[in-house]
Amino acid sequence: MSAPKEFEVVGKRLNRLDGEGKVTGAAVYASDFTLPGMLHGKILRSPHAHARIVRIDTSAARKMPGVRAVVTGASQKLNRFGNFIKDFEVFANERVYHVGQPVAGIAADSEYAAEQALRAIEVEYAELPAVFDVMEALDKAAPLVHPDWQSLKAAPIIVREGNRCSRTVIKVGDVEEGFRNSYRVYEHVFRTSPVHAGYTEPRVAVAQWTASDQATVWCNTQLLFDTQSTLAEIFGIPPSHIRVIVPGIGGGFGGKLRLGMEHYAMALARAAKRPVRVMSSSEEELTAALFRQPATIELKTGVDRDGRILAKEGRIVVDAGACSGSGPLVASTGTMILAGPYRLPNANLEGISVYTNNHPNGSIRAPSGPMPNFATESQMDMIAEDLGLDPLELRLRNILREGDIAVNGQKMTAVGLEECLDKAATAIGWDLRKPGPNRGKGLACGWWMTSRGSSGSYLKLMQDGTLTMMVGVVEMGTGALTGAAQVVAEEMGMKLTDINVVSADSLTTPYDFGSQGSRTMFAVANASREAARDLLEKMRTRAAKALGTDEQALVMRDKAFWSDEKKITFAEIAAQANTAGGGLIAEATYIAPAVEHDASRVQNHFSPAWPSPSFHVHATDLSVDEVLGEVTINRYVVAQDVGYAINPTYLEGQLEGGAVQGVGQALSEEIIIANGHVKNGNLTDYKMPTAMDVPKIEVILVTHPSVAGPYGAKGVGEPPTIQPPAAVANAVAAACGKRIMHLPITAEKILLG
Amino acid sequence: MTTMHELNLTVNGEEWQLAVKGAETLLEVLRKHLTLTGAKSNCLEGECGVCAVLVNGRVVNSCILIAAQCNGAQITTVEGLASGETMHALQTAFLNRGAVQCGYCIPGMIMTAAGYLKENPAPTEEEIREGLCGTLCRCTGYTKIVEAVQEAAQTMGAK
Ligand code: FES
Ligand code: FES
Repeated sequence: MSAPKEFEVVGKRLNRLDGEGKVTGAAVYASDFTLPGMLHGKILRSPHAHARIVRIDTSAARKMPGVRAVVTGASQKLNRFGNFIKDFEVFANERVYHVGQPVAGIAADSEYAAEQALRAIEVEYAELPAVFDVMEALDKAAPLVHPDWQSLKAAPIIVREGNRCSRTVIKVGDVEEGFRNSYRVYEHVFRTSPVHAGYTEPRVAVAQWTASDQATVWCNTQLLFDTQSTLAEIFGIPPSHIRVIVPGIGGGFGGKLRLGMEHYAMALARAAKRPVRVMSSSEEELTAALFRQPATIELKTGVDRDGRILAKEGRIVVDAGACSGSGPLVASTGTMILAGPYRLPNANLEGISVYTNNHPNGSIRAPSGPMPNFATESQMDMIAEDLGLDPLELRLRNILREGDIAVNGQKMTAVGLEECLDKAATAIGWDLRKPGPNRGKGLACGWWMTSRGSSGSYLKLMQDGTLTMMVGVVEMGTGALTGAAQVVAEEMGMKLTDINVVSADSLTTPYDFGSQGSRTMFAVANASREAARDLLEKMRTRAAKALGTDEQALVMRDKAFWSDEKKITFAEIAAQANTAGGGLIAEATYIAPAVEHDASRVQNHFSPAWPSPSFHVHATDLSVDEVLGEVTINRYVVAQDVGYAINPTYLEGQLEGGAVQGVGQALSEEIIIANGHVKNGNLTDYKMPTAMDVPKIEVILVTHPSVAGPYGAKGVGEPPTIQPPAAVANAVAAACGKRIMHLPITAEKILLG
Repeated sequence: MTTMHELNLTVNGEEWQLAVKGAETLLEVLRKHLTLTGAKSNCLEGECGVCAVLVNGRVVNSCILIAAQCNGAQITTVEGLASGETMHALQTAFLNRGAVQCGYCIPGMIMTAAGYLKENPAPTEEEIREGLCGTLCRCTGYTKIVEAVQEAAQTMGAK
């Protein structure tokens, strides 16, 4: 074997390009952005889960001091929207179908004036019957959340029936036969609760109309182009007439994928003929944001005497809330997590999303991940315990390995799962699973994909010999664009700091599927690398001409091309190209190659095959307080197959942060909803982990390179939130014998459970 | 009419004479009157710490401090932490340790750490975690932030 090639820039722990502004306070975020003459908008929200709007009277509000515009469903014609089903309205028209649904908006000179004026809007409602439980909503007799569901436009893949807004199935072999041949069959039901994405910068937008059919929006969305096209749809103008700019974003985690405040700011700015800023308050975040869907997961698994899985039947029922949002996608992809990274000769897995009169939900980091993984990985431990097997051994007997066929018929390659299991188990000291009284260890494994979708990259050589990279994604904080710039610098023989990054302006940067799906660095780096190669070719041609030599004879070194002792620097090439006309630019686009799967096994699946799948194992050692039921995490280990580490520092950062976010869902985070009303809409009662609640996260990077990835990298960002609930649940069971099947695992449940 | 209060402040070494409304918070004064946006805005109820600044050397969540109560105070925000061109040891350590992701919590985190290290210049990991527990970070999981504060404490102690 030849020694691996040493790289100059990739694989190195280099500081992020946007770091200095962030530690000095110079970085501008969307919430810092203002315009001259800007007004402030506030939203009036429904107090009812389901009601007919009898009357809205805004006349008193319009007369309040500082009020410049009032908008309701009746005052502006705005089209419905929604990613799979057009079931969202900007402002309610005839009915409200969830608490917190926007009914009117006010733009005023200050936030305070807008807030005061909201109280002067009179709305008369006639309450209607509502449904809050997914199982009840599926009942034929349940009230319909959208009685007009058949007339709502939907994507062809969506199969609906009353309150059920989607259904996806994966079927392999014959489960009944599998259960008949099983030594034991296990049936369990698990539940999870809604959680908030937890970004520290609330959603915000400033909108300005620059012509009667043209607007610019400065906001903190993760998806420029989806935001652009959705706004175009709502306002009935061409997408190119809407410019979306993200000055900077304080976290997203999937919670900023879909419209936040953009449409309200645009509607109010149009009415006021002035720029309007709308920022969601902390209370609005915790009562009216797009949460991670709560889910009910039913699992039936049959195994032979040795613990090998013979058949698995499962269903994930996702509470979409009153508008489908990402629910159909979450339920669909959830079927793959129900399967887990295991060999399943027989399986029948179903994912459905259901309307209720709860607040609509979104797609939080690994949207379909934690809920079914919590079920599947908890059940694996329950099976191991019943069979008297080590949970690690049970997994080793069932996991997918190189060349195996997964449940969707996809052939698995670059499978680092066994290595993750071995390393995580060794690191946590698996041999001693009960190190003391009320103390135990647990682990959980999982898999995820690197989402597809297009990326583009424009490169230009600058006159000082550096390079500018223009891309249409948002740097959410993951370091994805520093990673992509490292790839470009490597190709160009430059330093990382020679790369200037321009991003997140829908007018000037190329189309991009956006900062989502663990794909940002992967796809942007691939596109940019291709563009860099093209740019280098053009530079080489010019250099050869200038030096009067053959292109092949040129050597690239220190940002110059050399022919023996003669050289021409990149800066000289740029200057020459600029004066000789045109300058030097290059561009490329990328989309990950489609992956083969067995189409006969899947029905209405949104992502039936998984490009560059990643594999991960979390292990934890924790203690449970016998009297108080409180859980203390002593150690936490993450082993993840990342393919290749372009910048190990920021990869670790993803795994550390994701694990802690997942520990929050495991132990403390829950949007508590009763009859559609959120009961804990403040950061005192919605408990995210602080520095004191978690230990140092120990990270192990495993590298089984993906053929498609830049330098072999795989998608990284979402997976670390998937496994914590199951790993923690398994460790709690090991520590104190309590098996908690409903997230979060609170002290109360441990004591009473 | 709202009564206005006269407010004298020294912010990052610069003196200001302002007229503020009675209910205005220090965060509003910093962000709106002085357009210093380093201190961030989130919960506005003292729960997340993104708005933390130093008031007379002590860490304060500026979103719940009435500005009028700060008359005569010395305020330091993240913009005023560096000395001239040289970044503060905490800023350097946060950068070099990869403790910065989205960065929205970072001004608050760094100011909280700066205040804490004054009280406890050589903290243990445990103590750092306790000192920072009023500031939420959703991105980093705190591991690299704690390492950065440890590193900065060492650098500062060595001087
Ligand atoms: S904004 Fe001040 S503590 Fe949250
Ligand atoms: S770096 Fe994003 S919240 Fe801390």
